[in-house]
Amino acid sequence: MDGVRVGKRLIGTQAPVTIGWENIPRVEGGPVKQFIFTWFQPTVLFALLAFWYYAPNSIAKASTAVGIGIGFKVLLLGLEWVNPRHESWRLTWKELVTDLFYVGLGYTALRIVDDYIGDKVMVEAVQHYFHWDKFTWFMGLPLLVQAFLISFVFDFGQYWMHRGMHNWYPLWLPHSVHHYITQLNINKGAVGNPVELFLIGLGIGGFFDFLPRAFLLAGAFGMAIGTYQHINVRFNSPRWWRFLFNTTEHHSLHHSQDFEATRSNYSGSYIFIDRIFGTCIDGEAELLGMEGGRRMSIREQMTFPFTEGWKSLKERFGQPIATPAE
Amino acid sequence: MNSRFIDWIWHVRGSVTLAPEQSSDDVFDRLDPLFRQYGTSHERTNDTLIFRKKDQAAQDKMSVFDGGVLQIEQGVSGSVLRYHLTSRALLFCFLAPLLFLGMAQLTIALSKHEKPSAEAADTSGKGRDAKKNADVPMNAIDKALGAPAPEKKDAGKAEGRNKKPSATSAYVFAAIFAALYLVGRILEDRLVKALFRKSLLGA
Repeated sequence: MDGVRVGKRLIGTQAPVTIGWENIPRVEGGPVKQFIFTWFQPTVLFALLAFWYYAPNSIAKASTAVGIGIGFKVLLLGLEWVNPRHESWRLTWKELVTDLFYVGLGYTALRIVDDYIGDKVMVEAVQHYFHWDKFTWFMGLPLLVQAFLISFVFDFGQYWMHRGMHNWYPLWLPHSVHHYITQLNINKGAVGNPVELFLIGLGIGGFFDFLPRAFLLAGAFGMAIGTYQHINVRFNSPRWWRFLFNTTEHHSLHHSQDFEATRSNYSGSYIFIDRIFGTCIDGEAELLGMEGGRRMSIREQMTFPFTEGWKSLKERFGQPIATPAE
Repeated sequence: MNSRFIDWIWHVRGSVTLAPEQSSDDVFDRLDPLFRQYGTSHERTNDTLIFRKKDQAAQDKMSVFDGGVLQIEQGVSGSVLRYHLTSRALLFCFLAPLLFLGMAQLTIALSKHEKPSAEAADTSGKGRDAKKNADVPMNAIDKALGAPAPEKKDAGKAEGRNKKPSATSAYVFAAIFAALYLVGRILEDRLVKALFRKSLLGA
């Protein structure tokens, strides 16, 4: 395969990828379908922002956000059903069970761990040690600015953590497991080794004091943008949307079987962070995964970072085994 | 105890009636593409096919199964293809509710253990909370746009994010997996039967 030159890099020499928005297929169907799948993403984003901005205090609560989050995922599952991006990414019973197992871990086991050693605990420890108070001036900013900054600071941290995972072997080990998925569906973001899921969830938001409503608005940014990283739906995302925000196109390229393509599009929500640091590639891929598309079992996903790490340590520091001369 | 009493949990058995003139070779030739998938190995003898799958792709139409035996039996009324397939995914899904119920118990046990120390922390943190009880600022832009005024922070009330995790989500996931198991056990049974039937009829 020849690949396509993007800057100094050749993308797609190992596996098929599509580079450039002009080469990406559009939504097929009548005008109503075209309209829906063009304006769905911006409409949901602005509707959610308006809702959280104006909802009375009695409604603007975390429990409402959880409810909306679940409802939104069910709606997106419906969209995956009616307008799949690729037939080969169709959700099967087994994929759904696997994905939900990881979602379940996120809501239970990871929460417990987070409570003891998560970012909140670390931030509190640092504040206590240095006698720092929270940055209370942050609360005086306009709500939407607060919300954007909360989500941007988190995404900026996630960008570097994610980029680090792709560039430093000890961090790559736990993250590699997530790259063995062979298709994108809305719960695939939760699939990965728990160590990685813990690391990627770390943030420094705890240093700031913000209005609860700003936090809910930040959650709306994450939900109405970040969710589309892993989704099997074809959208005609508006040009400004795909310039600013991460899309399933960007993220499918990040998951492709082509090594160079995977070293791009690291941000969670704001692809302009990738544009700033020169790691953004606009395009898409259908063939995803590692080792030619080997799907890892849950058991291996749990143990792989440790067994691989042990193997590498042995290779590096282990005693060479003497082979008898023939 | 006979393992058949429980092995229906992850074993799927069934049969498909074959056309009278269909030979064993013809049947297995038609089914052959199903076993030429990533991670699948199979052996064929006269009227039996044994297969095994490892790390099968999500796109594999039989990905839910890890192994099985397909056998052609000649009967009085014609021949039938009998199959006996095993699925670790079904077993896993059957056991998953137990895992999440265990997680719920763990959450409850941990929160009981945490209670005394949390109460002690509450009294020590009162000074800081009182300071927070001051007026909550609201930006002029938000006032002009008509956003509801923020509530004053209640010193006695724990912040939403500081709440201990509840066991509810673990119970919800236990229920989801129980429901998913029932759906999967029936759905995958039907799908594989339809798949064999379609493959045998197809050219």
